[in-house]
Formats: sequence, structure tokens, C-alpha cells
Amino acid sequence: MPPDQSQASVHRAAITDRTELAKGVILLGIHAPELVRVTKPGHFLLAIPPSGERCATALGIYEAQAERASILFFVCGSRTRELADLAVSEYLEVAGPLGNGFDLSGQPKNVAIVAGGVGIASVLLPAQRVAEYGGRVQLYYGARTQALLVDAEKFERYGCVLNLATDDGSSGFDGYVTELLAQTEEVPDLILACGPTPMLHAAAKVASRMRVRAQLSLEETFACGVGACWGCVVPISRASAQAPRFPMLSTDGSRSDSVYARVCKEGPVFWADELRW
Amino acid sequence: MTVRAGADLSVALGRLHLPLPTIMGSGCYGSGEEYASFIDLENIGAVVLKSVTRMPRLGNPTPRLVQTPSGLLNAIGLQNPGVEWYLEHEVGKFSERPCAIIGSVAGFSVDDYAYVTQRLAARDEIDAIEINISCPNVASDGETFACDPKLTSRVVTLVRDLTDKTLIVKLSPNVTDIAGIAREAEAAGADALAVINTVRGMAIDVDVWQPRLGNRTGGLSGPAIRPIAVLAVYEVACAVKIPIIGQGGIETTTDALEFFLAGASAISIGTANFTDPRVPLQIAHGLERYLLGRKLNALRDIVGKANHGFSGPHQYEGDQG
Ligand SMILES: Cc1cc2nc3c(=O)[nH]c(=O)nc-3n(C[C@H](O)[C@H](O)[C@H](O)COP(=O)(O)OP(=O)(O)OC[C@H]3O[C@@H](n4cnc5c(N)ncnc54)[C@H](O)[C@@H]3O)c2cc1C
Ligand SMILES: Cc1cc2nc3c(=O)[nH]c(=O)nc-3n(C[C@H](O)[C@H](O)[C@H](O)COP(=O)(O)O)c2cc1C
Ligand code: FES
Repeated sequence: MPPDQSQASVHRAAITDRTELAKGVILLGIHAPELVRVTKPGHFLLAIPPSGERCATALGIYEAQAERASILFFVCGSRTRELADLAVSEYLEVAGPLGNGFDLSGQPKNVAIVAGGVGIASVLLPAQRVAEYGGRVQLYYGARTQALLVDAEKFERYGCVLNLATDDGSSGFDGYVTELLAQTEEVPDLILACGPTPMLHAAAKVASRMRVRAQLSLEETFACGVGACWGCVVPISRASAQAPRFPMLSTDGSRSDSVYARVCKEGPVFWADELRW
Repeated sequence: MTVRAGADLSVALGRLHLPLPTIMGSGCYGSGEEYASFIDLENIGAVVLKSVTRMPRLGNPTPRLVQTPSGLLNAIGLQNPGVEWYLEHEVGKFSERPCAIIGSVAGFSVDDYAYVTQRLAARDEIDAIEINISCPNVASDGETFACDPKLTSRVVTLVRDLTDKTLIVKLSPNVTDIAGIAREAEAAGADALAVINTVRGMAIDVDVWQPRLGNRTGGLSGPAIRPIAVLAVYEVACAVKIPIIGQGGIETTTDALEFFLAGASAISIGTANFTDPRVPLQIAHGLERYLLGRKLNALRDIVGKANHGFSGPHQYEGDQG
């Protein structure tokens, strides 16, 4: 996953469509042909808050086709609330694409994609990519309740096999999506996962038990989002290809096996077996 | 889209002459490279590099950031590769930068400051040195330097002797008498003062009954601290004659103007870059428009005009500021 930020820029994008997929879950389409041209699966963007005052919001790039990209978000705080208030034909300014996305260069045949909640926003592009090169995707998609399992049909259109789970049992498997993954008899060649941190930990465990490598798209609080502030770090193995090549000693002067990588710059996607969290 | 046409926005900080008064705050801008795809670095005055220490530092445990109303609480803990590695692998790249590069020095003893200053200042790629005696996020005594007039004086006197380059001293707002500290720094030979660093703060997670930051305490930046910073600049400007680099929550031209009128000769932009990387350019353009609108030739004409007993705004006919 080589760094690839040279093609990022600020885009002033008109909003082409707005859908409330469930209460508080918004899908915004934007006209951004230049962004689409350079977006890869797993990339994210920074949505510049229309009224300033707060850091830009990191959001996965959900769709990217021809002239239109889209973002999918849960309204959970002041910034997402402001984005939810935008109407069609108004403008949203975004910086991106950013980060290092999923590595599908080996074109693995059978891919399991695990998404929890809003994590779904970062996994449509990789699902699409796998379909393009002729691979097959089992999508394991979990949410708190049925209404929050949004847009699953779109994944079916790319030939994904759906495996749904809800915490309250209102749809599909009654329990965590990673439990559902653990039950599968069909061992995938690669696992990709995006969702809340506890889910990613669980997905990493299941993957290691299955002896399958997993790539996790992490979520951290960002400030700059471009690698400038070292605020979003996660410990990873010193041996990882994504480990920054800096001398990093712990405060007592010892040289530990793990170093800090920036989720926004070296990530957000990391190999599960290289994380030391 | 270069700025610097009409009005004169230039500023002199000791020997360092900047065509634009917009300086990117330490720790917020990397080395400039991280922002180069969003803004032409020719359109900013200078970048202050992330503070470096004598030895490498891993920095604080995570989480290191919390978003707060109109602010950002951080506790990075001076993560950096140490000055030797920095000189060998990073500094060489700065010669290509189209803006000035200011090195930032942090330390835990007077010796540390002297050592790192000497090593950094010896390099041609570094145009000036900023002494960060005010980092609130390290367990030992980073900030006690900025809180103690005698220590401030000792450290500034020592590093002053080590370089002819412009020496900027960055002050902490977490003191009772910032003007007193500023006077010490000036008397000890500082060429300019950076006012202010972050304000100490804390946020607590009410679900788990724990502070949200890994370091527990942090430094608050962004619009939330702007009035604190404006007052600090005002007070320091009353106390010293050397130029002040005002900072703390500057996001718009109007914000920047408050600092100039309070007595700053230049400004620093940190957190606002995280909102929109084009802010420094927008502010430079805005300042120019403001001056032209008031038929003023140079930014320096308004420095401190809200200060020193100055009694009111200029009244110009057709004022459209
Ligand atoms: C690489 C990356 C990609 C992302 N992609 C997406 C995406 O595609 N879609 C999406 O919806 N999100 C995504 N996120 C997350 C998104 O950036 C954050 O949710 C963002 O913080 C929302 O901003 P906000 O101001 O609306 O909420 P904030 O106010 O920042 O709140 C964010 C979260 O913190 C919690 N929180 C805030 N304050 C408190 C408090 N006082 N006590 C307890 N909890 C609190 C909230 O419950 C909420 O879950 C992504 C993040 C990263 C790093
Ligand atoms: C994430 C972050 C890291 C910072 N790191 C440093 C640092 O290493 N050295 C320093 O002198 N100031 C550091 N600062 C302080 C800023 O340079 C600046 O003085 C302060 O944030 C106030 O300005 P602002 O509100 O425009 O950000 C840091 C600030 C932030 C937000
Ligand atoms: S958010 Fe600043 S380095 Fe990642």
C-alpha cells in the first residue's frame, strides 16, 4: 500500500442527490469528476465544514463513477448535522482523495468483506473492484437494527452474497457480524473490514483463527487528516512496510517492537497482523 | 494566484524578511510538504516546523486528539525523530521550499535547548529559530520554562549567543503575567515573540469516567481560544518593542486583523488549516483587500492601532473595509 497523496486537491462539488436512507443516515451524491478519476478503493476525503470553526470531517468515499462520487454518513455530531442540512445543487467542498486504500493487487478470488454500521461507506468500492476482476465477494454486514442496514441491494448488484446481522435480531443473524463470519465454512482468500474499533478487533481475531490475512480500515479522531500533526496514530509492527522510517524510541529510551503510524497517512487501511493495538 | 500585488504585507522579524505575514504554526503543518497539493506554498510567509528535541520521542499514548466546541484539544507529546536524524534525512529537502522555514526547538533542560538550536541553526535551509518553551503536553518540565521568568531569561540568553539568525521565543498563555515573561525574553535578546501556544485543557468521557486524552491533559487551540490570545498579544505589545507573531484560533481575515490591531506584526495559522487548507491564502487576499479598501499602503500601518491608548478607528471617506 504505497503512499499516494500527490493527486489530492480541493474540489468544489455541487450536490447532485440526497437520500435519507434511514433516520439519520444520509447519502450525498456530489459532482466531482476529477476526484472520481483518482479515487481508489478505501480512499477517504475531508469534507470542509461550510461554516468553519471545526476540523474537516473524514468520510469514506462510498461511490465513485464517471462524474459522481458519494458519501454516506450517520448524523452524530455538529459536523455531520451540518452536512445533513445541505440540499441538492448547493455546494460541498472536499479535499481528497486521501490515504492508502485496500490492496487488491494480488486479485484474490474469494474475498470476505466485513462492515459494521457506517463502515459500509468504505467497502462498496473494493467490492466493485473485486467484481471487476472476476472475484467473488461474501459481504458480512452488521448493524444495530434492521433499519440501519442500509443500501445492501447495491452490493447485490455487484454480485456480492449478503450475510446480514443485527444486534437486536430484527434482521438476519441475531448477534455480531463477526460471529457470523466465524461460522462460515467457506474460508476466504482475504478479509477486508471497516467498522467500529471493537468490531475490527473481533474481525482480526476471526481472521487469525482462520489463518486468513485481513486488511482493516481504521477510524481515529483526525485533526489535519493529511499527515501533518501526528494526532491520529496507531501502534504497528516496526517490520511493517507501512511503518514510518523514523527512529522511534519509547520515553524510557528503549527500542520497542512497535512504532506509531498515522491512520490518515500510512492508513487508514492496515494489515491486521501488523497492528499492535 | 500569487498574492503580493497591491498592498505591502511584508514583515521583518529580526533579520528575517517575509513578503507575507502568514506563518504556519509549529506542529500543525508538518514541513509544508503535507499541504503542498492543496495550496501553493509560495503564497504563505513561512512554515514553523514541528518542534524537535535532542533525542527521538515516541510521543504520548493515544488518543491524542479530542474535538471540542470551536476547538481542538491535543496532546501529541512532541513526537519527533530527534535532531540528528532530522538533520540527516529531513532538513535537506527544505532548500526547495518557496517559503521561509523556521526551525522549532523543544527541550527539557537549558542544555537541550542550546544543543538543538546550535545544530539546527548551522543549516542554511533553516531561516530562523523558534524556541518552544511552552509545550503543555510533556510530562516533565517543557512548560516550566515559559512559566518562570528566570528560566526564560537563562535559556534565551544562552541560545541567543549561539546564532545570528532570527530568534523567536514562543510564550505560553498558562501564566499569571505573560507581559513579564515577554520582557525577560526581549531583554535576553529575542528578536520576536510568538504569542500564544495552546491553553491547557481537559475533556472527560462521562461513560467511562476517564479523561478522553491518553495524556489526560492537553492543549486547546482553535477559535475557542481566540479572545485569550488577542488579549495576550495586546498585553505583550504594551510591554515590548520587538515584533509579535500573534496566534490562537485565527481562521478569517477579520480574526487576523484583530491580532494586528492588538499589536501583532505577523500571524500564525495552525488549527484553521485543519478546517480548510486554503485559509492562509484567503487571509492574505483578505488583508490586501482590507488595506486597499482603506487606502492604506502597508499592513504595518495598522499594527497595534487598537493598543497603546490609541483612541479610535480611522475614519475614511467611502470606507468599505
Ligand atoms: C478514515 C475515516 C473514514 C470515515 N468515514 C466515515 C464515513 O464514511 N461515514 C461516517 O458517518 N463517518 C465516517 N467517519 C467518522 C467521522 O469522521 C466521524 O464520525 C466524525 O467525527 C463525525 O463528526 P461530528 O462532528 O458529526 O461528530 P462528533 O461530534 O465528532 O462525534 C463523533 C462521535 O463521537 C462521539 N462523541 C462525540 N462527543 C461525545 C461525547 N461528549 N461523549 C461521548 N461520545 C461522544 C459521538 O457519539 C460520535 O459517535 C470516518 C472516520 C475516519 C477516520
Ligand atoms: C496538533 C497540534 C500540535 C502542535 N504542536 C506544536 C509543537 O510541536 N510546537 C509548538 O511550538 N506548538 C505546537 N502547537 C501549537 C500551535 O503551533 C499554535 O501555537 C496553537 O495551536 C495556537 O494556534 P491555532 O489556534 O491557530 O492552532 C500545536 C498545535 C496543535 C493543534
Ligand atoms: S490527523 Fe494529523 S497526522 Fe493524521
